[in-house]
Amino acid sequence: MLDTAVHNMGLLCSRHKRGNQATTEENDRAAEIERRIEQETKAEKHIQKLLLLGAGESGKSTIFKQIKLLFQTGFDERELQSYTSVIHANVYQTIKTLHDGAKELALSEADSSKYELSADNKEIGEKLSEIGGRLDYPRLTEELVQDILKIWRDPAIQETYARGNELQVPDCADYFMENLQRLSEANYIPTKEDVLHARVRTTGVVEIQFSPVGENKKSGEVYRLYDVGGQRNERRKWIHLFDGVSAVIFCAAISEYDQTLFEDENKNRILETKELFEWVLKQKCFEKTSFMLFLNKFDIFEKKVSKVPLNVCEWFKDYQPVSTGKQEVEHAYEFVKKKFEELYYQNVTCDHQDRVFKIYRTTALDQKLVKKTFKLVDETLRRRNLFEAGLL
Amino acid sequence: MPMYTGGQVLDLETAVKDGILGGGGGGGVICDDVTTPNLGKLDLKKMIEQLDSIEVPSVFICPISLEPMQDPVTLCTGQTYERSNILKWLSLGHFTCPTTMQELWDDSLTPNSTLNHLIHTWFSQKYLAMKKRSQDVQGRSLELLEVLKTVKGQTRVNTLKELRKMVTTHESARKTVAENGGVSFVSSLLGPFTSHSVGSEAIAILVNLQLNSDSITNLLQPTKISLMVDVLNEGSLETKIDCVKLMGILFAASDIVPSLSLLVGVLRLVKDKRHPHGILAGLRLLKIISTQESLGNSIISIGGVPQLVEMLPHFNSESLELCLYVLKVLSSIPHGALALKNCSNLIPNLVKLLMKTSENCTKFALSILLEVCKLSPEESAATAVNAGLAAKLLLVIQSGCNPELKQLSSELLKLCSQNCRASIFISKCKLTRTLQ
Repeated sequence: MLDTAVHNMGLLCSRHKRGNQATTEENDRAAEIERRIEQETKAEKHIQKLLLLGAGESGKSTIFKQIKLLFQTGFDERELQSYTSVIHANVYQTIKTLHDGAKELALSEADSSKYELSADNKEIGEKLSEIGGRLDYPRLTEELVQDILKIWRDPAIQETYARGNELQVPDCADYFMENLQRLSEANYIPTKEDVLHARVRTTGVVEIQFSPVGENKKSGEVYRLYDVGGQRNERRKWIHLFDGVSAVIFCAAISEYDQTLFEDENKNRILETKELFEWVLKQKCFEKTSFMLFLNKFDIFEKKVSKVPLNVCEWFKDYQPVSTGKQEVEHAYEFVKKKFEELYYQNVTCDHQDRVFKIYRTTALDQKLVKKTFKLVDETLRRRNLFEAGLL
Repeated sequence: MPMYTGGQVLDLETAVKDGILGGGGGGGVICDDVTTPNLGKLDLKKMIEQLDSIEVPSVFICPISLEPMQDPVTLCTGQTYERSNILKWLSLGHFTCPTTMQELWDDSLTPNSTLNHLIHTWFSQKYLAMKKRSQDVQGRSLELLEVLKTVKGQTRVNTLKELRKMVTTHESARKTVAENGGVSFVSSLLGPFTSHSVGSEAIAILVNLQLNSDSITNLLQPTKISLMVDVLNEGSLETKIDCVKLMGILFAASDIVPSLSLLVGVLRLVKDKRHPHGILAGLRLLKIISTQESLGNSIISIGGVPQLVEMLPHFNSESLELCLYVLKVLSSIPHGALALKNCSNLIPNLVKLLMKTSENCTKFALSILLEVCKLSPEESAATAVNAGLAAKLLLVIQSGCNPELKQLSSELLKLCSQNCRASIFISKCKLTRTLQ
């Protein structure tokens, strides 16, 4: 028993000795970790958080992709290829939506013959609709492409497409249908253009860190951009990102004034955006945050405004057209811009006096435009920082 | 050979070169005007006219007219005058030397050719230097304008900065830029993607140039105005003032509806107590756009009324008049009067101002008070009387000011007396029973 005691004592002593050594090592490591944490916290402070918010399909993810293309290394071949299945899915979804939509319209409309597919196409239509309803899509083959084109070119489908705003036809429909042949080629690798048009409902949060390189090639601010899902069920995840945000980039697709939500076919999209914008503005954590409102999808807006009057949307019911053509487009745009401006100032209190608020006209698919727009956003944020540091 | 007069060296070249005559710059130019006196005289007149802001050495000045002499003649007393002036003096019957008061023993007028020569030389030198500077400025401005057409980025910003400096200091630069399509070119730089640095310099240049109606129409495009509003909201004080001035010129010529962002920006400028220049510039713009019908509702919707009312005691007299004018316009629309009434410090502030500064201020203040009191007679009248309105109104009526003011005052007085208990009213008026 004594030797156990001595043995244990010995163990104790040696553990103690080892303990000393271990402690200094641990201390060193702990100190190193502390230092690292301090460094990173300091670095974090310089990183400006940018949040892309907006309703579903407002263009947030497209802007996100554009920033990736502009200020990071863009998409490598692997990433590009990963979009192939998405693009094919978009094609199937479009055709299915149109086909089923035509059937519905044929039932509900008085002039049902307009929406009746021609006899030969009926079977093909059913087949494609069935494919589109699957969870896994087959690869686009030459044969399938021919089928799809037959359906796409059917007058009934074109008539249905003209009423696409009542259905949930994605904006990329036209683009992909036009490029269908290319998309189905055996060695197809999506181009940047294709990737930008691809439509995937974002879920969760995605982020990238980048530094917009100035003309002197000096690195400017470091930004971290967050992209979120816009649909209603995704919005509860937003709140986790709301702290310490330098700027909110709120995307509003102004072309959707005659469309309804994917998640609620009775709600007009612009009205949804309006309510969402108001909600975001009122958040306490955004009291000092700069707001950049991107009035997006201007290219679609341009074409639509002459065909569909703005007043179909309740918020724009007091719109009066004054001329035609390009002038009218400008006039309509200024009207929408003013509406959003009024909305902003209605939701501003004296706490928000100094908050930066700027409106930009964007077309997220146009890389040059996005680059120019972001340059302005960057300049504004830099000036804002100087102002807050008291240097302006 | 140097000549001495009272201990001073009057060698022509040295005198001019060394600046004895108060002129700077070396390298005196000696003009041979002795052979062509008439031509010399005409030139001299023109030069004197063009150099009228320059400080002329006292020895060149005629003691009678205090103007530079173009034909100096010397009396027997040794004093030199402008020929026409001294002749006039003598023709009036005086036979004395105007400065020394001595009686003249000799009525001859000796042309002072030395002085004449000096005067001519001095003015020629100054004139040529001015012309050269002006040409330099003109040449440089033209150069800058050409450079602007080709450069981008930071170089463009720097070029614009330099051009702006030239245009703000030299009339000749302004002329050159305007005559060479500068206005339309600089305007073309303003667009939806213009950076702040470019925008602020371009606006600073444009604000100094004459704008014809075409340029104004061009600048009134919504995208350009949006940019100006953005620059206004983000810029330094000088930039803000430039934007506001430019927009004042543009809006005066049109009936464009000012955006809410613009109004917010202008209000921010007007509320900045540290910078009275900014306040004045902002209020000037507000006055110009106050003729707009929709302006009233816009200002009210952004909560501008209480902000303006709060600033009233801080304005200098010019700003005060402008602000009161704007508030008066607002008071004439129903929402405006309501918004004004809801400002608790409106009535006390206004009452304090009556008869304090200009008649216009009093007039506008009275109009505002009238509208507000008409809206809610009992409440407002009570507040007003408590603030000492009655005494002020009596002061106005008894003073020697414009009948319009007296009219307003009596109306207001009537309103107050109708809505106030007589005893209170009398005590506030400090009237005795007999006067009642």
